[in-house]
Amino acid sequence: MFGFLMGEALRDLRRAGRVAVSAILLVTLSLAALGGFWLVSANLDRAVGRWRDRVRIIVYLKREPAEADLPQLLERVHAVPGVASAVYVSRADALRALKQVLGKDAAVVDSLPTNPLPSSVEVTPAATAATPNAAHQLVERLEALSEVEEVAGGVDWVERLSQWQRLLTTIGLGVGAVLALAAILTVTTATTLVVHARRRETEIMRLVGAPELTIRLPLLLQGMLQGLAGAVLALAALSAMYSVVAPRIEPLVSLTLGLPRLAFLTPLNLLALTLAGALLGALGGWLARGGREA
Amino acid sequence: MIELHRVSKIYSVGPVKVPALSDVSFRIDKGEFVVLAGPSGAGKTTLLRLLYRADLPSDGEVEVFGSDVASLRRAQVAALRRSIGVVFQDAKLLPVRTVYENVAFVLRVLGTPRRDITARVFDALRVVGLSSRAQAYPAQLSQGEAQRAALARAIVRKPPLLLADEPTGSLDDAMAAEVFEVLRDIWTGGTTVVLATHQRRVAVALRRRTLALEAGRVVKDEG
Repeated sequence: MFGFLMGEALRDLRRAGRVAVSAILLVTLSLAALGGFWLVSANLDRAVGRWRDRVRIIVYLKREPAEADLPQLLERVHAVPGVASAVYVSRADALRALKQVLGKDAAVVDSLPTNPLPSSVEVTPAATAATPNAAHQLVERLEALSEVEEVAGGVDWVERLSQWQRLLTTIGLGVGAVLALAAILTVTTATTLVVHARRRETEIMRLVGAPELTIRLPLLLQGMLQGLAGAVLALAALSAMYSVVAPRIEPLVSLTLGLPRLAFLTPLNLLALTLAGALLGALGGWLARGGREA
Repeated sequence: MIELHRVSKIYSVGPVKVPALSDVSFRIDKGEFVVLAGPSGAGKTTLLRLLYRADLPSDGEVEVFGSDVASLRRAQVAALRRSIGVVFQDAKLLPVRTVYENVAFVLRVLGTPRRDITARVFDALRVVGLSSRAQAYPAQLSQGEAQRAALARAIVRKPPLLLADEPTGSLDDAMAAEVFEVLRDIWTGGTTVVLATHQRRVAVALRRRTLALEAGRVVKDEG
């Protein structure tokens, strides 16, 4: 029976002709847009996750503590809620780090009369303090310590990146939804043509007492096939775009976002997009209700 | 098998009421061959449509296989129609399918196992004398052949009741005679046949029970 229904659906698809092709292309567009935004958003999400792990807060000290006082200072910093770890960086260590950063221009540092850099404690916030509010509270607590001159750093920029990621997801969903609506309407139009073209089959089916499901299922299936075809094309387009674009922009992405590689959509994402295509098509097919005859 | 009790049917065309059947009562038993005779507009098609529940009576009761057709739900209507074969003046063949595919279509729609379909289709085509035209398309058939193909499609499920609405209306005498011969064969095979025709001489020639309809009323029940 399924073979018959599928055969009828394929026959209907051929009948719908160009309108079916338009519907397939619209499904392709909507899913490609959705998938494209999803891809970018997923990679931004990865970058946000990585950067959250790397966030450091620098606690600059008023004066370099005596070696004997150091363990006690670190202990007090460590005791501040929201601190995962604390590492002391002496003025000499800071200068060495600066030289390393300057590289071949490190000689500039040697011409300084004295070491201008303050000693500091490098704090890694706990996971619970990796949000803007919690990070602000942590900074305030650290500033309250008597030895502290100034506290720098935070998670604000990571949060801004995260906001961008959320914005992209929202835009992606919006664009995808508008295109999906257009795709549903086009599948509905294509199916309405099919309903008209197969009115004689439908009349005979009703006349011989075919169950309503048998009459409606080919319409639903042909809509679903349009959606599936659109989804497969969208995935192929996304895959092709990824393989062309990703190698070209990966160096830039690595430099700016710290991601060594751009990840493609996961198998679960791909499955979700395919199912979304089938669902769009099925919905369009279902909405095109032919006039029910007696 | 079929029983009508004081059945009336009125079509509403906007504010205008058009009576198609008025106070019609009769009974058809299993195994009968009944001719519904009458001029165009007498109510023959309306009467047949009530029997396969394409329409509902405005008044009265239509019983088919012991059920009041007006009270049937959608699934029960489908079940009723699976027991009734119907042919029309227009053969209503699917133009892009061969004769074999047209007849098989009905079986496939109803979920008949694929292995049974070929044998049953050729059985039906043999009854109507079209075995050799199985691979022809409707456009390649004469009108008489097309009507016989429609008959094959109607009987391929071996329904106990066959309703034929002017099946020879557009055929010449020779072709009409072929179709009547096939109808007679189907009837002798045990199927109850109700044939609607406006050709009075057909009714006479068939020498079967004839219900004469005029202006929506049964004016004669003879034979």
